Amino acid sequence: MVMCSNQKRTQYEIADHVTKENKELLIERAEKGKVLYKIHCAGCHGIFTKGKDSIPNFTKIQIDNYQAAALIGLDPKNHAVAQKMSSQQVDYVVTFLRLRKID
Amino acid sequence: MKILLVIALLSVTVFCLSFNFQQEKQYRSLYKASLSTFREEQRELLELINSSKITGEKEKIIAAIHKSRKSLKSVDFWLRYFEPIAYRKINGPLPVEWENEVFEKFEPPYRREGGGLTLAELYLEEENPETDTLAKLIRTSIDAIATFEADSITIELKSPDHFFLANRLFLLNLGAIYTTSYECPDTNSIIPELRHMMKEVKEIYFSFSQEYPKHSLSTEYSELFEESLRFVNSQPSQFTSFDHFSFIKNFVNPLFAMNQQLIREYGVTTRNFNDFSLNNNSNSIFSKNLYNSQNTKGIFSLIEDEELLAEIKSMGRLLFYDPILSANNARSCASCHNPNQFFTDTTQATAFKFDHRQHLSRNTPSLVNSIFNHLVMLDGKHISLQDQARDVMHNPDEMNTNEKELLKKIVSCKEYKEAFKKFLKHTPEEKEVRMDHIISAITFYYADFSNYLSPFDEAMNEEIGISNEVKNGFNLFMSKAQCATCHFVPMFNGVKPPYIGTEFEVLGVPADTSFTKLSDDKGRYLVNPAKETLNAFRTTTVRNAARTAPYMHNGVFHSLEQVIDLYDGGGGIGRNLEVPNQTLSSDSLKLTQKEKSDLIAFMHSLSENVIFDQPPVKLPASSNKSLNRRKIGGEY
Repeated sequence: MVMCSNQKRTQYEIADHVTKENKELLIERAEKGKVLYKIHCAGCHGIFTKGKDSIPNFTKIQIDNYQAAALIGLDPKNHAVAQKMSSQQVDYVVTFLRLRKID
Repeated sequence: MKILLVIALLSVTVFCLSFNFQQEKQYRSLYKASLSTFREEQRELLELINSSKITGEKEKIIAAIHKSRKSLKSVDFWLRYFEPIAYRKINGPLPVEWENEVFEKFEPPYRREGGGLTLAELYLEEENPETDTLAKLIRTSIDAIATFEADSITIELKSPDHFFLANRLFLLNLGAIYTTSYECPDTNSIIPELRHMMKEVKEIYFSFSQEYPKHSLSTEYSELFEESLRFVNSQPSQFTSFDHFSFIKNFVNPLFAMNQQLIREYGVTTRNFNDFSLNNNSNSIFSKNLYNSQNTKGIFSLIEDEELLAEIKSMGRLLFYDPILSANNARSCASCHNPNQFFTDTTQATAFKFDHRQHLSRNTPSLVNSIFNHLVMLDGKHISLQDQARDVMHNPDEMNTNEKELLKKIVSCKEYKEAFKKFLKHTPEEKEVRMDHIISAITFYYADFSNYLSPFDEAMNEEIGISNEVKNGFNLFMSKAQCATCHFVPMFNGVKPPYIGTEFEVLGVPADTSFTKLSDDKGRYLVNPAKETLNAFRTTTVRNAARTAPYMHNGVFHSLEQVIDLYDGGGGIGRNLEVPNQTLSSDSLKLTQKEKSDLIAFMHSLSENVIFDQPPVKLPASSNKSLNRRKIGGEY
């Protein structure tokens, strides 16, 4: 559980009309999603690591096309981990991927 | 001469090729041909409707509807599976349905309008039916057929996987829908249509095996299907005399198991929403792993270490009995969900409010089998078991506590504190112990009690006999008493194949046993206000009904006899209450005393052999001395 210490902080992009309170709530969720993502997803979907070729690494376009449905059990290929997650945990991960600022 | 020979050879080759070509595409052309026949039949029906006066020519129109229904039954195998939303326009059970299925339950319910033959036939029975409305129901259906010709759907036919999944849905519906009056208003047609449909499915099987010889159905399967066809043909044509019990036990369920085996053997994959809940590893319709339950582990979902899970469960058990969860340290989960009363309270219509004086407005539901609901609470207010648990603790009328206070009391108990500190390490996304940890331990504990089977399940699964009263009661349940049109096989709740959504019904439940007025509980309307949802409640399971009195959302009835009488008498309308949106038929079922007692015998056979555990001998000691006087299970 030391992984957080040396990482640079993730920046998030949240629309202006979102209230300060909700922004904080969203960031709290996204941060939880980040932790889960690093442990369970990053091995293949490279954001923090090299990942694997041909597996989405969630650039801006990819996340828009990537369906949550695929994540929660309808994708025949993979996602054994995602299927085990509670829907709340899936939500954290998706929130992280959606709000993360991509340079 | 040579030229002639070449020409002859060429033509033979062309002939062979075209023959092969025909062979290969036989399955797909059957789909196409059946679909266009269905469209043509409906076009003719539409012309007839437009050119005739409904009054006077009703019989003629009904005959044409029945003819179209037959051609629907030739394609139902595919359509129902391929696109359930468009299918509702072709064969919808209700004019308006509010849907909230597993994959969309995070969003507000969708309003979906139905169309098609069943609704058209029902509409004809109404007072002064109008041509335009009738025609629209059929036009909606004709338009929806285009969906099934789209490339995105027909592409499925080019590989074998869909076949076994469509077949699975077909078999589940053979058990739950096709032998009931669910979508067949003319009950005289149910068994004749069933015979026709099974014959048509046999044709589908044949053409599939021609096109996909490497993915054929097993000989064993084909033989049993033949036998089931003979059985259905030898049975009486009235669905009330049809032996539903033997049909499901001897044919539908074994065929289902064989098809499941083929799904695993052929490594069938899917992206279809219809397969969302179904478990490929289940080998019986009457098993508790047929479809995926609610997530019971919550925040602990990613933990797989058996030992650790057992520890979480044992903490969940202590918490379940611990009144520390309520603001006054006097009420526990077990106060209302008494484990020795099937996790409900059989002693009162509705439980006390937090003040221990007034009463809540709804009857306590049994937690047994609650994990098989896709929406929780009688009004479907919650989408997960964890949300429900959180709500009960926060509700000022129930446990009246909040996260901060509760966690403070929990960590004052050393045993809890150490256990949850340990569990926290396995939920790295959380920095501290939260309410989610507490409620997830609780849901994980009580979920186990939903995994037992009843004598009825055992009689379906094994060579164990069951009394004639029970069999007769089940046959009535499926036919004359019309129970199975809402309480679907096998959970006998409102979750019908493919088990992705929960249905709500309006019965017209009274406020008191003398039917002086309708219960004023608005039900589903409170969550999703609409004309159709007023006074609607989620259809609960009939399993363990014999052990979980009192009944209905307000606990108004004390006996199963009273409940059956409500249905037999046509619900609220039948007792002169005004219920404009009642979904239960207001006609009497005309059940005899013997039939009622057989129905009750069947319900008793659904009492599950649950092994309940005993309350803990003591609760974790707190550093706050005053808390140590709390009573195991609470005082309510």
